[in-house]
Amino acid sequence: MPDTPLNKVCYVEDDEDIQRIVRMSLERIGKMQVEIVADPTAAIDAILAFQPDLVLLDWMMPILDGPALFRRMRERPELRSLPVVFITAKASQRELDELRKMGAAGVLSKPFSPKDLPEQLRTIWRALA
Amino acid sequence: MIPSSAAPSPAVPARGADARDSADPRRVLADRVEQLYSQMPLGIVATLAIGGIATYELWDQRTRELVLFWWGLVLLIAAARAALYLGYRSSKDKLAEAGQWLRWLGISALANGVNWGFAGAVFFPSHTDEQQVFLAFLLAGIASAGIPTYAASWPMFAIYAGAIVLPFTYVLATFGNRLFSEIALLVPLFYLTNVGIAYRLNQVFYSGYRLRHAYNRLTKDYSALNTQLEQQIEDLLEARQEVEASGRKLALFAERAPISVIELDPNSTILEMNPAAEHMLGYPAFELIGRSALHSLFPPDENTLTPAWWAGFVADKAPVARVRARCLRRDGLEISCEFTLTPLVNDTGDLLSIIVQCQDITQQLEAERLKKEFTSTLSHELRTPLTSIIGALQLIESGATGEVNGEIAELVSVAARNAQRLLDLINDILDIDKIESGKFTLAPEDLALDELVRESLILNKSFAERFNVGLQVRGELGAALVHADRKRLMQVLTNLLSNAAKFSPVQSTVEVRMQQASGTVRVEVSDRGPGIPENFRDRMFMRFAQADSTVTRQKGGTGLGLAISKRLVEMMGGRIGFEDRDGGGSTFYFELPLRRLTLAATK
Repeated sequence: MPDTPLNKVCYVEDDEDIQRIVRMSLERIGKMQVEIVADPTAAIDAILAFQPDLVLLDWMMPILDGPALFRRMRERPELRSLPVVFITAKASQRELDELRKMGAAGVLSKPFSPKDLPEQLRTIWRALA
Repeated sequence: MIPSSAAPSPAVPARGADARDSADPRRVLADRVEQLYSQMPLGIVATLAIGGIATYELWDQRTRELVLFWWGLVLLIAAARAALYLGYRSSKDKLAEAGQWLRWLGISALANGVNWGFAGAVFFPSHTDEQQVFLAFLLAGIASAGIPTYAASWPMFAIYAGAIVLPFTYVLATFGNRLFSEIALLVPLFYLTNVGIAYRLNQVFYSGYRLRHAYNRLTKDYSALNTQLEQQIEDLLEARQEVEASGRKLALFAERAPISVIELDPNSTILEMNPAAEHMLGYPAFELIGRSALHSLFPPDENTLTPAWWAGFVADKAPVARVRARCLRRDGLEISCEFTLTPLVNDTGDLLSIIVQCQDITQQLEAERLKKEFTSTLSHELRTPLTSIIGALQLIESGATGEVNGEIAELVSVAARNAQRLLDLINDILDIDKIESGKFTLAPEDLALDELVRESLILNKSFAERFNVGLQVRGELGAALVHADRKRLMQVLTNLLSNAAKFSPVQSTVEVRMQQASGTVRVEVSDRGPGIPENFRDRMFMRFAQADSTVTRQKGGTGLGLAISKRLVEMMGGRIGFEDRDGGGSTFYFELPLRRLTLAATK
């Protein structure tokens, strides 16, 4: 997949404002197709339906947080190879190392720059090739 | 009994010498001499009296001159003996000169004896039968009187009595009378018997002296021991008073101490506790003393201070500090405590008791928890809305939502700038909190400092342009490899560059220079700003240190940048500082140890 350009991104995030900004950033500046999922418990179904190239996960979410959702995704054979990038406001070095060990493709910190976000994701995407 | 005790001082030698030898021969001799001399006055008086009577009895016309001559000898010898006696009495060192005095006494005894012997030899043949009987009795009595007089020295008696008896025996033997010849045979026997008795008496005297010396020594030892014992008792009393005083001091320390102090025996039985411990645990001391601390003070599910832990501690006998465990108060309330345990071990390594100091840290832990929670909230809850605000403003500024012009664009940029400032402040506070709580970790790597400096100039160019200030490298940036955290070193460079830009006059240039010297590399950032006020210099790297708060409002900045930079540079093994710049302005610099002298060689 990484040999094709990054096109479809699924973003799991509970904060509506940030959802809107990420959508606008990726769609308007990045010219990508974006699917936003507000409820992390419904994320796996949505991902299976949307078939994204890459999943962007918020870390702090109610009920099911990013790392837990990530673990669930890894349990599904059809999602095992799907690249996952975390976006987080509370990244200690230890937690970042832990995520990378779990197989996260990348970690972006909040606040991010919507101007640069599409390019950051594409850089990660190209690195997977 | 005797004279030596009457004049003891010269006869008493040093205690040590006495202790080494129970009967020092010199002292025995001195005592004997003393004994012999003590008999002298009586002897002189008796000699004069008996001599007088003899002179009277033997007086007749024929031998008048001879008797007078003899009487003169008696007086002369008596006078000499009296002089000798007085000489001895006034002697300063009777102990050292005892031998000398004994010899003189021997000579005087010999003279005395010879004089009586002379009387026997000269007057016996020339006088009547009655006078001869008188003389025989006189000589026998005089000789016998020598036994007690010279009891302390039998040879002296032998000389004395011999001098009397020998001439007399000779006279008797050569008298030509059978009876006298027979008596002449008896006299030596009589003499020898007397010498034998004197010898025996002498032995008795000797043992008497020895006993006396031994007794004296014992008495002296005893009194020395007594003195020692008294001193020891005094010392003990003093020591006891000191111990009692320090005991009272200690008790006072414990009683007034704000932290709990509990003494336990090796089985964790509570021996003593201070009022602070009573207060902390809610028990009066008498309820807890005698009970096991392990079973009485901790909740059943406490898993730090367990019996197994205690067994290990008692076996190690090593002090333990800052053990945290939960305690159960009498009222059932659980508190968090921090313990310091100090075992009291005696010289032979036995554990006597354990002093436990304990502090209720429930509130402290709660404060720590709240602070952590606050930090985490600051980190997440403040950043989340800022993410939206900054994101939204950036999207507008980027033109993704259409063109914005004029005052709207200006206002959006004001909002974006201040949102960014707020974010910087939060990040700085979090950084300083992490650094100060020791949770800050660096990810050091080998990196080319010259490249990092160039990169920092590019990254901060637009920021400087906002103040209409240029950034420029001065001189050559030599290749320099350092071992440092790239992101954090960039943070330091950004801080120095943005500070310099903020304080530079419009249209001026901030200059960056790199220098290498003896294993370190130095990066300098120089501006033409107003310089550092004198009264601010020592607070330069403190938190929220800003010389002029109006600058903050005008130009932004959190007041934490330099404080963080200083800590970061120091964590990377370097140092940071500033100095005045020639021609006005300041130079801020940091130095880092070089990884290798030049990178060029490895390229």
